[in-house]
Amino acid sequence: MEGEFHPEYGPKWSDQRVERLLGALVVFVVGLLLAMIAVVVARAWPSFAHNGLAWFGAGGDVDDQLNAISLSGQNGLDYVWTFHAWPLIWSTILITGGAVVCGLVSALFVSVFIVEFAPTWMSNVLQPVVRFLASVPSVIYGLLGVLVLVPFIGNHLVTEPEKASVAGVISLTGYSLLAAVIVLTIMIAPLMVSIFSDGLRAVKPGWVEGSLALGVNRWRTTWKIAVRAARPAIVAGTVLAVARAIGESVMLAMISGSVGFPPNPADGLIFIYEPSRPLAPTIVKNVDQLSSKPANATLFAIAAVLLFSAALCSLAGWIARRAMRKYGAA
Amino acid sequence: MESLSAPPPIRRLDPQDPPPAREVGPGATTNGNGGAAPARGGFTAAKRRVAAPRFSIRRMEVDEVSIHYGAKAAVKGVSLPIRQGEVLALIGPSGCGKTTLLRSLNRLTELTAAARLSGSIRLDDVDIRLIEPTLLRRRVTMVFQQPNPFPMSVFDNIAYVLREQGSRRTKKKALAPRVHSALQRAGLFEEVKDNLSHPALKLSGGQQQRLCIARALAAEPEVLLLDEPCSALDPQSTAVIEDLIVKLRDDVAVVIVTHNLQQAYRIADHVAFMYLGDLVEYNSATRLFNAPAEERTREYVSGAFG
Repeated sequence: MEGEFHPEYGPKWSDQRVERLLGALVVFVVGLLLAMIAVVVARAWPSFAHNGLAWFGAGGDVDDQLNAISLSGQNGLDYVWTFHAWPLIWSTILITGGAVVCGLVSALFVSVFIVEFAPTWMSNVLQPVVRFLASVPSVIYGLLGVLVLVPFIGNHLVTEPEKASVAGVISLTGYSLLAAVIVLTIMIAPLMVSIFSDGLRAVKPGWVEGSLALGVNRWRTTWKIAVRAARPAIVAGTVLAVARAIGESVMLAMISGSVGFPPNPADGLIFIYEPSRPLAPTIVKNVDQLSSKPANATLFAIAAVLLFSAALCSLAGWIARRAMRKYGAA
Repeated sequence: MESLSAPPPIRRLDPQDPPPAREVGPGATTNGNGGAAPARGGFTAAKRRVAAPRFSIRRMEVDEVSIHYGAKAAVKGVSLPIRQGEVLALIGPSGCGKTTLLRSLNRLTELTAAARLSGSIRLDDVDIRLIEPTLLRRRVTMVFQQPNPFPMSVFDNIAYVLREQGSRRTKKKALAPRVHSALQRAGLFEEVKDNLSHPALKLSGGQQQRLCIARALAAEPEVLLLDEPCSALDPQSTAVIEDLIVKLRDDVAVVIVTHNLQQAYRIADHVAFMYLGDLVEYNSATRLFNAPAEERTREYVSGAFG
C-alpha cells in the first residue's frame, strides 16, 4: 500500500517520510555521541588501570609525572604510568566552583534588575549587550586577563611579605586562582544572565500581579514569586555555565599560572593568589606529546573525567528541574 | 427554604426563554423580587437569590475620578460609594473602563506607567494616595479574571500572604489555623483539607479561583475587588462562587466587575453601569434592571448593544 497515490487524499505516507528522516538523524547523532564516549573511555582505560583510584589522589609533583609519562616509551625507555591528578582536579573544583558561585549570585541580581526593575529603554539596551558578551570568544578574555588583570594582581594586590611567606613553595606572580575565577566569572555570567532573564520574562504576569495585589512589595514579589517560578531556568542556565566553565581551557591556560600546584587554603587567604592548572588546560598544554602511548592514555583519561563531570552536572540539573516541576513552575 | 425540598422541575430549553434561576447551596435565599416579571425594557432576569442587605456602611468613596492612559481617557469623572454589607457590581460593554476603575481602587493602575488618575478615592475618609501602596493593597485585595494561584502547594499559597504580612511565627503549625480559616471562608476547606500540600495548579478552575479568593481573604481585607471572577469558570463553579460572594458581603465591602448581567442581578445590591468611561447610572440592582432611569441603561440591559 505504501506509496500508493490517491487522487484526492495524496500519497499515504507523505508524513511518514519526515518522521523517518528525523528518526534517522536522531539515531545518527545518538550513535555518534555513544561512539565518542566509547572511544574516550577505551583509550583512557590503561591510565586508570595502572593507577587505580590513586589516579584521583594526591602524591608527587603532577608536572614531573606528566613529563616522565610523555618521555617514556621513547628511545627504548620503559612505559611510565604513574599519575596523581589531585592538584588538577582541586584546581578545577576551586576555579569552576568559585566562578559559578560568583556568576550565579551576580547573574541573578543583574537579570532581576534587567527584567523587573530597569526602565524599558535600559533593558532594551542591556539585553543585546548581555547576549553579545555571552558570545565573546574566550581567548579575548584570556588576553585581557594576561595583559591587565594578572599584572595588576601581581604588582598591587600581592604584597612582598606575602610573596616571601610562600617563597620556598611557590612564587606568586599574579597568575592566580583569583585572576582565573574573576575572568571565568566574567565569561560565564553573561550566559547565565541571558538564560535567567529569559526565564524571569516567561513567568506568568498573573502571578506577579497577584502577589502585588495582595500587598506584597516589588522586591519580595520578585524573589518569592518570580525568581521562585523561574528556578528551572536558573538551574538550566547554571548547568550550562558549569559545563562551559569545566571545559574552558585556552583562557585558563593563559592566566591560571599553568602550574600543577594545588592551592592550599592552609596558607591563609593568600591561597587565592597561588597559581594552579585545571584539567582542561592540561590537555591543551600536553597535546603535542601524544606520540607516547602512556601520555596518550593519560590525556584521554583527563578527557573522560571532564566528560563524566559534564554528564553528572546535566543529570543533577535534570533531577533538580524534575523536582521543581511538582508545583507547576514552568 | 421550601425551594430546597424538591428538585426543580425539568425544563425544556427554549431559546426564547431566559435561563432558569439556579438554586444553589443551603445559603441561597430569595427576596421579594424573586421570580421577577419581564421588565419594561425587555430584560428578563433570573431570580434574585439575595436577601436585602442587613446593613450598609460607607467604606470607600470614589469622587470625580478620571483615569487617562496617555491621551486616552479610560474613566471619566466617576463618583460612587462602596459600602460594606453590600455587593456592588460594575457592568458595561468591553472597554468601558470598569476594570480600570476597579484596579484604581487599590492603586494597581499605578503599575502601568502611562496611567494618570485625577479626582480622589477615599478609604474610610483617607485619600488612598496617602496610604502606602502595600498597606492599601492588604486592606483592599483583588481577585483576577484568570485564576492565578502561585506555583506552590495549596497551604503555601495562603501562607505566603501571612508570611509576607510580617507574621512573626512563620512555622507551618503556627500558621495552620489562619490558613484553615481563610480556606473555610472561601468554602474550599472541605474539598482540600486532606491534602493541603497538593500543588495548587492541579486544582480545578473553580477551586483555583476559590483558592485565590481565600488568599485575598487571608490578608484580612476591608474591601474585596473581583475582576470578572467567574468568566473563566463553568456554571457550577460560578454558582458556588456567587454564593460565597453574597456570604462575604457582611465582612468586607465587595466590588465585582462582571460581563454577566444575570450574575449582577443575582448577587449585587447596587449596580453601576459604565459606558465609554462614563458612569451612566448607579442604582440599586432591582431598580437598574427593572426600571432603569437612563435610556442607555435600558438599551444595554435589554441587550440592544454591548
